[in-house]
Amino acid sequence: MITDITIGQYFPSDSPLHRLDARVKLVITLLYIVSLFLIKSFIGYAFVIIALAIVIKVSKVPFKFMVKGLKSLVFIIIFTALINVFTVKGGETLVTFWKLSITTEGVFFAIKMALRIILLIIGSSLLTLTTTPIKLTDGIEALLKPLSKIGVPAHDIAMMMTIALRFIPTLLDETDKIIKAQQARGADFDTGRLRDKARALVPILVPLFISAFRRADELAMAMESRCYNGGANRTRMNVMKVTSIDYTAIILFVVYCAVIIAMRIIL
Amino acid sequence: MSIEIKHLTHIYNPGTPFEHKALDDINLKIEDNEFICIIGHTGSGKSTLIQHLNALLVPESGEVLLNGENIYADRSKLKSVRQRVGLVFQYPEHQLFEMTVYKDVAYGPGNLGLPQEEIDSRVKNALETVGLDESVYDKSPFELSGGQRRRAAIAGVLAMEPEVLILDEPTAGLDPKGRDEILDSIKLMHEKRKIIVILVSHSMEDVAKLADRIIVLNDGKVALTGTPREVFSKVNELEKIGLAAPQITYVLSELAAKGYDVRTDIYTVAEATEELYKFLKQVK
Amino acid sequence: MYNTFRRYNIRKKMVIQMKIVRAENVSYEYTKVVEIQGENVERKLMALDNINIDIEEGSFIAVLGHNGSGKSTFAKHINALITPSSGTVWVDGYDTKDDEQVWNIRQSAGMVFQNPDNQLVATIVEEDIAFGPENLGVEPAEIRKRVDSALHMVGMDGYQKNEPSKLSGGQKQRIAIAGILAMQPKCIVFDEPTAMLDPAGRKDVMETAHRLNKENGITIILITHYMDEAATADKVYVIDDGKIVLSGVPKEVFSQVDKMKGFGLDVPQVTETAYNLRKLGIDIPKDILTVDEMVGAICRLKSNI
Repeated sequence: MITDITIGQYFPSDSPLHRLDARVKLVITLLYIVSLFLIKSFIGYAFVIIALAIVIKVSKVPFKFMVKGLKSLVFIIIFTALINVFTVKGGETLVTFWKLSITTEGVFFAIKMALRIILLIIGSSLLTLTTTPIKLTDGIEALLKPLSKIGVPAHDIAMMMTIALRFIPTLLDETDKIIKAQQARGADFDTGRLRDKARALVPILVPLFISAFRRADELAMAMESRCYNGGANRTRMNVMKVTSIDYTAIILFVVYCAVIIAMRIIL
Repeated sequence: MSIEIKHLTHIYNPGTPFEHKALDDINLKIEDNEFICIIGHTGSGKSTLIQHLNALLVPESGEVLLNGENIYADRSKLKSVRQRVGLVFQYPEHQLFEMTVYKDVAYGPGNLGLPQEEIDSRVKNALETVGLDESVYDKSPFELSGGQRRRAAIAGVLAMEPEVLILDEPTAGLDPKGRDEILDSIKLMHEKRKIIVILVSHSMEDVAKLADRIIVLNDGKVALTGTPREVFSKVNELEKIGLAAPQITYVLSELAAKGYDVRTDIYTVAEATEELYKFLKQVK
Repeated sequence: MYNTFRRYNIRKKMVIQMKIVRAENVSYEYTKVVEIQGENVERKLMALDNINIDIEEGSFIAVLGHNGSGKSTFAKHINALITPSSGTVWVDGYDTKDDEQVWNIRQSAGMVFQNPDNQLVATIVEEDIAFGPENLGVEPAEIRKRVDSALHMVGMDGYQKNEPSKLSGGQKQRIAIAGILAMQPKCIVFDEPTAMLDPAGRKDVMETAHRLNKENGITIILITHYMDEAATADKVYVIDDGKIVLSGVPKEVFSQVDKMKGFGLDVPQVTETAYNLRKLGIDIPKDILTVDEMVGAICRLKSNI
């Protein structure tokens, strides 16, 4: 069923990771992704893998959830690896057929690139698995707030994200119903050339868009009647606080960064 | 045309923590030209059942037979099943998408690959049956009123010229006038086209007026079945399931409980008026 | 504990005893493009035509009308979502045309809409209920208290962390009601709140509305076309074509069976049956609304014969 597709599924639990402030997690995740591009050696990757494994353990999220995000990207990972294997030259040549050859450098590089993608995805998944959508959007809003001085509508962006997340399951359900209704009128979404299949989508997309606009209209009215007036003077029930657990995480991350940079310089 | 449902069982999400048996060994037979009403709570299995009748859902076990043929026997014939068994979902006006009412109603027969004249005649016929005249043909569906849009959507399914028409709560969200208009159209269509009509509803008063036979579902099983007279007089059983008989039925059944000699199989205002008048005019 | 917080603004409030909602000669005009003899013409239509309604604080009022009668337009005036073309609407002493008072009005008179889904903003129940107080700038600790209290008032304790999209229609509506309660209104307008619900959901919502009225003293204004819901009100107004055509206690209004049917509305089966019997010469009371009243009347008549 369509509704089984969820984006960044949250896994409820009570680990230290879940209790971290969303802003801290967001910044650390971003810097972590940057750090992945600083690693050159296998020792570096080994270090990251161990660090990540420890964090996963601490998060109390079953490993299979991490892997879920990888499943849909298996193709890209393999594709990237293959490209690198055949294009990067250096070291000993291992295999040659026709004009293509595989070298040791090629293999090493391919493995490192694949690892980079995998680690990136698992790290990002950790963020969405341990942070509720609300806390995520609150965190993003808070981090963007300084930019509102130069005209970035931090609150509006966050509100749009919240509403989008709220309505995804509802709209997916509705899409399902529309598909069934049109199928009951003989619609066929499986046969025909690409052009036919695209045209067959019109009876689904038009009602869906109309419905989405109608919802938006009604929702806007409901929000207004609850005194919504943009971000001005709004308070929040769940206040974000940076606590000792966050300081610990920050210190540990700084240590991690130091090691990465050190390895980059030395190795 | 006849429909036979044999030992139909449907389980959602089998083998997961969300497993749910929506239909449990359903057995039913529906004869030609019958007007059937299905009643039951949300969650009793009504929507699941009707989606099996036009092969939108596949059962865990059991069969659905149209004129003796299993609808799943030939997968390539599913489109034909969906033409013969028309299904109108709740809030059908949400499926409208074309630029004009005419084109939208023509979508269904168009999918069947029929020649243009045939499509034209079917569209006109369908719109006439639901009581929409030529003045709306070229209008955008979104210019019509709520009740009109719903009738246009129903016409869209009627244009498939099904032998069975299933309607899931066709009066949902309509006011009394809109409700009467839709039900009158459906009744008229049933008389004109002589097809099987299956109506799913929450409203006992609506069901009482239209049904030849009522099927009461509870917890995925058939709890009661019979003519309206038979079903509504079983007030206690209906209440145990959490359903109610039409309001006026309770008046007669309470009078009978007090020992008065009145019929208890009454469920419309007209019959109640007659019966109570007779009752009060009797000299004891 | 429900605390009513009264705001007195003596300059703006009228000195005489105020009704919680007062509509005086209210009309609402809108233009529509109509096709007359092949040409597109702009027509001025009246959604509301000289409406006068006074609503007492603490009462349970029903406004009945068929779709298009103007009842929803009226509802939106109470919440200042629309302002009258002519005439005035006062809510808790504030004129709805006064831009500066809009937030006070919307806090005093909350509104629950027809579509349960299209009112819920957040991905978690407690966040949605907190939305209103957050907009009002209420302190975080106080918001927390209000959220829990509001959930309790609608009978959904423990649902704080649930996802709205996974709730039933009736539950969603109760969450919407809780969201309004968290703003501590004096009055709640329900705009056809049960039209999209199943009987179980309708029952839950109506029970909640009545409980809020009786136990918490909140004024309830119910816009509906279901006569069984209106039958439980203190007073009923019937709107047709933008005008108030009938008003009074339910018994008075519903007994006018012919008129009600003329306005495209239903009456309870027992009421219609009693009406028919009267037409046939039986002297049965015409204001019967319930099964018990009918049975009682029939029994009395029988024993008198």
